[in-house]
Amino acid sequence: MNKCLFAILILSLFLTGCWDRRELNELAIMLAMGVEKVEEEYQVFAQVVVPSEVSMKGSTGSTKVTLYSAKGETVYEAFRKMTKDSPRKIYPGHLKILVMGEELAKEGIGESLDLLSRDWEIRPDFYVVVTKDTSPSEILNTTTNLESIPANKMFNSLQMSEKAWSGTKSITLDELIADLISDGKQAVITGVQLIGNSKIGSSKKNVEMVSPAASIQYDHLSVFKGDKLVGWLTEEETIAYSYVTDSVKTSVRRISCPEGGDATIAIEKSHSDVKGYIRKGNPEVDITIKVEGNIGSVECKMDLNDLGTIAELEKIYEKEKIAIINKTIDTLQKKYKTDIFGFGEAIHRANPKEWNKIKDHWEEEFSNVTVNVNVDLKILSTGTVNNSFLEEIKD
Amino acid sequence: MRFLKKKNRKVLNLHTSLRSQSIEPNPEDGLNKSLQQNIQTLKDTLGKSSDIIIREIRFGKEGTIKAGVIYTDGLTDTPSLQNFILETLMLDIKEIDLHKKSPEKNLISVLKDVALTVGEIKEETSFDAILTSLLSGDTIILLDGYAEGLIISNRQWAERGVTEPTAQTVVRGPREGFTENLRINTALIRRKIKDPKLWMETKTIGTRTKTDIAIVYIHDIADDKIVKEVNLRLDQINIDGILESGNIEGLIQDSTYSPFSTIYNTERPDVVAAALLEGRIAILVDGTPFVLLVPALFIQFFQSPEDYYERTVFGSLIRILRFIAFIISLLAPALFIAVTTFHQSMLPPALLISLAAQREGVPFPAFVEALIMEVTFEILREAGIRMPRSIGTAMSIVGAFVIGTAAVEAGLISAMMVIVVSITAISNFVSPSYEMAIAVRILRFVFMALAASFGFFGIMVGLIALILHLCSLRSFGIPYMSPIAPFNISDQKDTFIVLPIWKMINRPHLMNQKNRIRQQHSAAAKPAPPENKKDEGSS
Repeated sequence: MNKCLFAILILSLFLTGCWDRRELNELAIMLAMGVEKVEEEYQVFAQVVVPSEVSMKGSTGSTKVTLYSAKGETVYEAFRKMTKDSPRKIYPGHLKILVMGEELAKEGIGESLDLLSRDWEIRPDFYVVVTKDTSPSEILNTTTNLESIPANKMFNSLQMSEKAWSGTKSITLDELIADLISDGKQAVITGVQLIGNSKIGSSKKNVEMVSPAASIQYDHLSVFKGDKLVGWLTEEETIAYSYVTDSVKTSVRRISCPEGGDATIAIEKSHSDVKGYIRKGNPEVDITIKVEGNIGSVECKMDLNDLGTIAELEKIYEKEKIAIINKTIDTLQKKYKTDIFGFGEAIHRANPKEWNKIKDHWEEEFSNVTVNVNVDLKILSTGTVNNSFLEEIKD
Repeated sequence: MRFLKKKNRKVLNLHTSLRSQSIEPNPEDGLNKSLQQNIQTLKDTLGKSSDIIIREIRFGKEGTIKAGVIYTDGLTDTPSLQNFILETLMLDIKEIDLHKKSPEKNLISVLKDVALTVGEIKEETSFDAILTSLLSGDTIILLDGYAEGLIISNRQWAERGVTEPTAQTVVRGPREGFTENLRINTALIRRKIKDPKLWMETKTIGTRTKTDIAIVYIHDIADDKIVKEVNLRLDQINIDGILESGNIEGLIQDSTYSPFSTIYNTERPDVVAAALLEGRIAILVDGTPFVLLVPALFIQFFQSPEDYYERTVFGSLIRILRFIAFIISLLAPALFIAVTTFHQSMLPPALLISLAAQREGVPFPAFVEALIMEVTFEILREAGIRMPRSIGTAMSIVGAFVIGTAAVEAGLISAMMVIVVSITAISNFVSPSYEMAIAVRILRFVFMALAASFGFFGIMVGLIALILHLCSLRSFGIPYMSPIAPFNISDQKDTFIVLPIWKMINRPHLMNQKNRIRQQHSAAAKPAPPENKKDEGSS
């Protein structure tokens, strides 16, 4: 009798099955998501992979992804409404990139991010970008070459450009939320642009061309005050931002030669140290950036065998770099009045007591902070040659 | 009612009395003095069996002595019967006055002591014993006027020679395997261990088959308690027939319904010899090449004799590989089902999309898909074992085609599932022991069902239950999971890795308490170049 009961108990387990059981072919794998504000309503876009098109065998040659969209009073509502159109439930677990509309960003992104940080299926390690002069629907509609899934292309090129060029800044959702809630640091988000003809860009024709009619490019860095977009930084300012916030991995920088012409320094390593002080009641910040690099190219006449030349190049680089960083900080202090560098946090770390006094009116204080920038470059090598063959070319 | 019972009893009594009267003489008594009577009794007992040959002869000076030579055709060595028994009796001793040779005038002992030129011979008065000997292949001589018979051992029958074992093959190691003959098998062991303490106790089990069974152990190594326990369990057997050591295993094993076997079996004399030296006890059964070894531990099913013959690094790597293969063959389909139906977020996106692409159009849930493939494979495997060898190639083509290509082409099964099932099947064959492979085959389906219902959570619960079960098993009093649980540090030398042989100083701890030292512990045991040793000595 006991055995019988036990057997029935065991068997009954298999009758149920877990509530979240889903087969792979019941999933609509969303890799990119777009959020836009249209007439007081959220419009949500989901770029979903068409698995059979991605596989080598079953491909019929149509596009690898498809875009679903829906409107709703809240992001979550719109998200669920998508099933009106999509035959499968949208699965956001592998979300790679979130594209926010510029208009939405200007009005504030806070509300729309809540769902994304709350839902248990979403991992907050995807990148967030903001459209510039375009809309999420246009960006997500563009087909891409090389990486046939646009979301992958967007993810990889952001990652790659940050690593090799530092002119962009990748921000994941959790980093963004941390910045949004911080007193002493404001958020930034990389901008994304559509270059070219968006009409052709959304069709398969786009990828049949050697140089696509439309392409997705990262440029500019959006500056936030609270959760509202207040302006854009140029590429040069973005690089300066990366140096200050210690997020440069490798980069390349043109400098002028002592006797005219150009040379390039390839930065291999950079470390920045931001230290805050309160001096005589006034907040002050020291930025020390230690850079190591090689001479990448020489397009001018100079004698690299002379150690003095190297030192001179280092000086020039340091001077130019300091100027750019100062200019960037100036722009933010004067124009946007928003502390994206985290100077407030530096001061908080150094002097919590004083910080508590000034943190409520930090916005005004920030504009008056004295910033001392110090850049130290070490040129490690000149590449595989010393003097350029340009020296040998007879005029 | 009572009345009826009484009546029944009376009828029964009547029957028994009738039966005892009708059969006369009674074979349960000793032999009769009359040859004619004895032969009649034999004929009555054995029926009309055509393989029993009863040859009645007369010998002696004037052919006055009547005798019966009885043997089983096919089990007796006919040339020796003719040369040393019939020829001796009928030709050689015709001229001798047999009665004069013996003071007591006992012809039986005269024949035994003086006349018959054969090796093993004994007198016997019990009819039962004579019958058993006759049916085992001995030749019986009965004389008229004597209530005793002679049993001459000249058994000889057709049998398989010592060949290479088919179940446990090795690349390096002895090529001989046990045969169906108990004597040859004991000889194979004796040839490996020439130790006076190697004891072989013999028993006869099976009221009708009368199968010989030998309990083999090394007296000063094996634990007396376990020997006693083995004897006890064997003595409790009361069955009509033992046809294979599997019957014995079924009757003496600790747990019947566990998928795991608590008795090890092998066809290899070197495995038995190694086990005996560790303190295990071997049970040999006549009529089968499979020898039982007790106590059996979980870890033993992962040990192959080759581990100790090959170089130690390789042996260790192979041992680890076997554990990995064990886990793969147990869990691979279950993990695949769990990941694809519950934990999609654990897969890298590229892999997820690739898997999803393969599953497009597959009409079954992953669990059903896996079940179909596993069951198909089990059917193919079973068919491969049972069918005649000559059809083997045809079946492997059909099997590979059905499983591999057609199912995927038809879109019934995803390609990844074929890969998973194949790797599972191949991993299963890595197991050096068929018993462990069977256990894994059964449990795999349980884990698949758990994974399909609860995902990783189910697999985890299943694993916990499995480990609890394994830890609760005992083989002849020894914990099945030792030396892992209970943990024994010194026995780890032959558990997950195999240490060099000069490090194996002690025998396994749990098996034997009385004679642990395997080799003298000395620095010299480790092989080293002679110069080094000199240096050590001088410094």
